[in-house]
Amino acid sequence: MNDFREGPRKVEIAFTVNGEPRKVCAYPMERLLDVLRLELGLTGAKEGCGEGECGSCSVLMNGGLVNSCLVPVLQAADSEIVTIEGLADGETLHVLQQAFLEYGGAQCGICTPGMILAAAHLLQRNHEPTIEEIREGLSGNLCRCTGYSQIVEAVAEAARRGLEQHHDETGATA
Amino acid sequence: MRANPSDYEMVAPGSLQAIVSLLAREPGAWLPIAGGTDVMVQYAAGKLPGRKLVSLWNLPELRRIDVTADEIRIGAGCTYTDLRQHALIGRDFPLLAAAARWTGGIANQNRGTLGGNIVNASPAADSLPALLAYEAELILVSVRGERRLPYVTFHTGYKKTLMAQDELLQAVCLPRRFTGYLAHARKVGARNAQAISKVCIAALGRMANGVVEDIRIALGSVAPVPLRLWATEHAVLGKRIDALVLALARTAATGEIHPIDDIRSSAKYRTTVAGNLVVEFLNRLNAESAEVGPVGPNDVLARWNLLPVGQAIIAIQPCCGSSAWAQKMADRRPLSDEAALLAASNETWRSLQRSDWIEAFQSHPRIGESRASEALPTQPPIQPRAAESAAWSAQEQQAVTDADADTKKILADANREYEQRFGRIFIVCATGKSAPEILQILTRRLNNDAEAELQEAAEQQRQITEIRLKKWLQR
Repeated sequence: MNDFREGPRKVEIAFTVNGEPRKVCAYPMERLLDVLRLELGLTGAKEGCGEGECGSCSVLMNGGLVNSCLVPVLQAADSEIVTIEGLADGETLHVLQQAFLEYGGAQCGICTPGMILAAAHLLQRNHEPTIEEIREGLSGNLCRCTGYSQIVEAVAEAARRGLEQHHDETGATA
Repeated sequence: MRANPSDYEMVAPGSLQAIVSLLAREPGAWLPIAGGTDVMVQYAAGKLPGRKLVSLWNLPELRRIDVTADEIRIGAGCTYTDLRQHALIGRDFPLLAAAARWTGGIANQNRGTLGGNIVNASPAADSLPALLAYEAELILVSVRGERRLPYVTFHTGYKKTLMAQDELLQAVCLPRRFTGYLAHARKVGARNAQAISKVCIAALGRMANGVVEDIRIALGSVAPVPLRLWATEHAVLGKRIDALVLALARTAATGEIHPIDDIRSSAKYRTTVAGNLVVEFLNRLNAESAEVGPVGPNDVLARWNLLPVGQAIIAIQPCCGSSAWAQKMADRRPLSDEAALLAASNETWRSLQRSDWIEAFQSHPRIGESRASEALPTQPPIQPRAAESAAWSAQEQQAVTDADADTKKILADANREYEQRFGRIFIVCATGKSAPEILQILTRRLNNDAEAELQEAAEQQRQITEIRLKKWLQR
């Protein structure tokens, strides 16, 4: 074990970000949010409240939705992180991104990366969410522009399209 | 002022043994951090007392749930999501499942831990009254060994606990003896999600021969520590629940709590609401729990009582097209039998907004047609179990379907007139009514004023829902 009498020091942390292995040298208590934005240049995750209330810093860590402002980077070691930058397939938007565009789910855009990741997290677990389930899945993400209705509609539409795609892929008929 | 990460040490030793050794070597120097939902907030505000943290996140020894015949042992590092996903907790410990559902949003549920909630010792924490009600025991571990103590003794004052500086909370044990009890939980906050409670209740009760045979009542946010209401329990134990006992219980409850004025609420408000919550629980206990057993008399209802809330909403939605009604019905679970279900439905229906009533009306097909209107702008994109609802509509309107062409034509014209007059489709409880009877009712109701007609339509919808609920139980 290290000798800690010399005081805090930076450590090397390896993890996977949007499918690519990355290494950073950081103080263990640096927030994952800051490491993503400042070290890795991934500025999609936003800082809103900085205390886990608003969800604008949401990312997926090992598949689970987390507020990256509340994750000390040491706890992200060896994990798989997905940020909003990792959702689209090249120039092809993710079904959620497309639906948000079409349904006016994004306005000023600050909450949008977190909203979309929270929605992606929900749809991975629940292919046919009810409106209430969508609202619950997004309840930790605050939006000050849209009034939420367009966001909920966008997620419902993405769920429908995702399901159609799933039916197409499996050869099932609706 | 924001903390500077270069001032803080953090280690992740990766095993329980290594962590308790570290705590023993420098007692009080190392602050354990699990999912960080409390610690990182203090850190961000520059308010962490120490500069050394030891990570417990994802420690396998703390993140397991073991079930034996007598108890369930929940690792202190289990997240709220872990609790929500555990089938036995959902079935046998609904108070804890509800608290897990109410704590923060999904991201915080993925990181916040039961142990963290206990050790952080906020009197407003949602899970703590549930642990009091279930008479939890805690297992603390250190290099000196394990010790087990009743949770009710753990909090000694505001944010003070019995845990020694070299100790770590390892697990929470809940006895499996409360399965036959009515479980009642309610949180009163500024909004449903992401809100810290103004007052919350977790309670268990069982009636026998018309009197309260056993009872546990615990409240959060009404004292420096989460509180078990011993005096209130004593006031009702062995008694019939009548107006006098309810008054005694309210007096006892308001006498044994010590709420404060703070940013979220006032002492006066909390006192009133605490009394209301206790009375609400006792009323429900009286109404429902005579028949509540480990397994309900009706399989459909027993299964529905155990469903996650989202699925419960979908399952009951065909009985009434108002989404608020379905949500509230799901929230009122468990319901013990048909009488409790119908009573809950009637009460819920009467409590709804007008827009909710109209939403329910619009889910029906026009009398004589087979499908609900598709031209409605308010129709939600996803219609759960629409097929079932449509099948029931067809049964209900059988007499009209079988009527002769002339009658159908007259009925269709009258329907259109009604829609022009009131701006929505005509709702009538058609079960058992012939086409001429329906026409007679429709003609009479065309003379109603708007308010009287809304009330009459709502009453018809209430009857339709009641008939459908009865059919639903027979599936």
